[in-house]
Amino acid sequence: MDAEMEDAGTQAEIEWDGGGGGADVVLGLAGGAASVSLCYHQAFGPHDDLVLLEAADDLLPDILQGRVTIRGCPDEEAVLCTPSATYAMKFVGTSNSMFLIPPGEPSAPSLRPDNTNGDAVAAAIKLAPGSIELIQTAPRLDKLRNLLRERPYVLDEDLGDVFQNKKGLYTWQDLCELVQASDGEMSDGLNSLSAVEIDGFWRTVDFGSLNTILDMILHNSVLHDWPLNSLPENDVISVMESDGFTHKIVAHCLSIFGTKVDQEGRSFWSLDERHVCLQFARKALGAGNMKLGNFMDKWERNIPSGMRADLQMLEGEVLCEKLGAETWVHAFSVADLPLTPAERFAALFRERSKWEWKDLQPYIRDLRVPGVSSEGLLIKYTRRTQPSADAEPIFTAR
Amino acid sequence: MQIRVQCGCGESSCPEWAVVELQGVVQPQPSFAGDIRGLHIGRLCSTPSPSSSSKAGYTFTVGYHELAGTKVALKKPLLVLRKKKVNGGDQDPPTAAAAADVELEVIGVIRHKILFKDRPKALISKPPTKEKKTLQSSAT
Repeated sequence: MDAEMEDAGTQAEIEWDGGGGGADVVLGLAGGAASVSLCYHQAFGPHDDLVLLEAADDLLPDILQGRVTIRGCPDEEAVLCTPSATYAMKFVGTSNSMFLIPPGEPSAPSLRPDNTNGDAVAAAIKLAPGSIELIQTAPRLDKLRNLLRERPYVLDEDLGDVFQNKKGLYTWQDLCELVQASDGEMSDGLNSLSAVEIDGFWRTVDFGSLNTILDMILHNSVLHDWPLNSLPENDVISVMESDGFTHKIVAHCLSIFGTKVDQEGRSFWSLDERHVCLQFARKALGAGNMKLGNFMDKWERNIPSGMRADLQMLEGEVLCEKLGAETWVHAFSVADLPLTPAERFAALFRERSKWEWKDLQPYIRDLRVPGVSSEGLLIKYTRRTQPSADAEPIFTAR
Repeated sequence: MQIRVQCGCGESSCPEWAVVELQGVVQPQPSFAGDIRGLHIGRLCSTPSPSSSSKAGYTFTVGYHELAGTKVALKKPLLVLRKKKVNGGDQDPPTAAAAADVELEVIGVIRHKILFKDRPKALISKPPTKEKKTLQSSAT
């Protein structure tokens, strides 16, 4: 079978109402001796506006109830998003002739030649070139982070005329238009970025501003005798407001550094030692290298009294390097690294060509790829060597 | 850009389409080459199944070729979507939906197909030198 189909598209397209195919007749064809004449529909043509989408049964309810959107910019590969998951859309072609027969009463066809068999009639509207498959994929959250870092919220910022210059400011709707992630994954992403919605725009808070607010909360805690594991929410917010900080930003800061506890109808915040100390560690380190001893001193001196500084807290945030007799430390935060596995490993191997597992693990444990385990990722992107049976395994780039 | 996939039909009443699939290509006789719309392709028959456990059998006769096939349930249903170009922008204030100038609507579902993948059988025997391999519709 090697002939070609005539190009029906050279004729003017006939209006098609979506029916006239007699699908039921074909679907109901069973048992013995029943027959149907299959014809080209009166409106047969390329109908490029018709596409086939493969949808597993668990996706059907979301699609059929209108909970699914297709997201992406013109230069990106489209993704299909349900409320909680993201799927890449891949067109898979077929070399078979796949005749699509729509439902509806088959229109009284002017058959050529006349159908004298008295058969029922069905009509094919189109030959499908293939269908679109859906493959679950990780949401593209790197873009979300980049967008939100364009214009972090700064204390006492003056946005100017927002309607004139919205550059770097994104509403939830804007983000849905620009980021290829489902609503659920987008919310989780915003949470991981410690983003906050201010005046309709989703913002990350600038590092320096966060330090200022945290310092002020701690300073006020000492002044007003508030225990750090039980800060009274209303008191904190009203005192901070009188110091010139907005309610929303103070509440957001409390949620970044603490957990809420409700007691007797009042809300209290318990500051998390790790989150608070981490913030001070970042502040102490800055962008450069420090000798470990100096860093530990500086860090311990600055953290709130009652809290304890432990290098363990800084996994995935700092790297230590032994140079000669000294150990040096510098900031290297997993939060600044790409989220896609290929790029993440590339960034890690740029930083260091060889990694021990205990150092590597905090920098890859957050990677999520549907259908791939972390062992799978290691096998794909690293080369594992072990100098001797009792030595630590070393990971290098593939 | 965001395009919502709409479905006017709802979950239970999405119309089911039928599919007949064969390997290879159907070619109309040259005399019909101009316009094939409305043209008869072939006759689809169901055959009585030899036992209750075997799949429903079908034959499809196109020209002088007879194809044998079966009805296959798709592992994953296919949805038939129709793209529509929409003139947006005449809403005030312009919404994100208006900015997308394409709409997608589910207009049907496909759960089964009648698949023909065996070699066609020639119903008329021709002299070996003239054996044709193409199927012809509306053959005499």
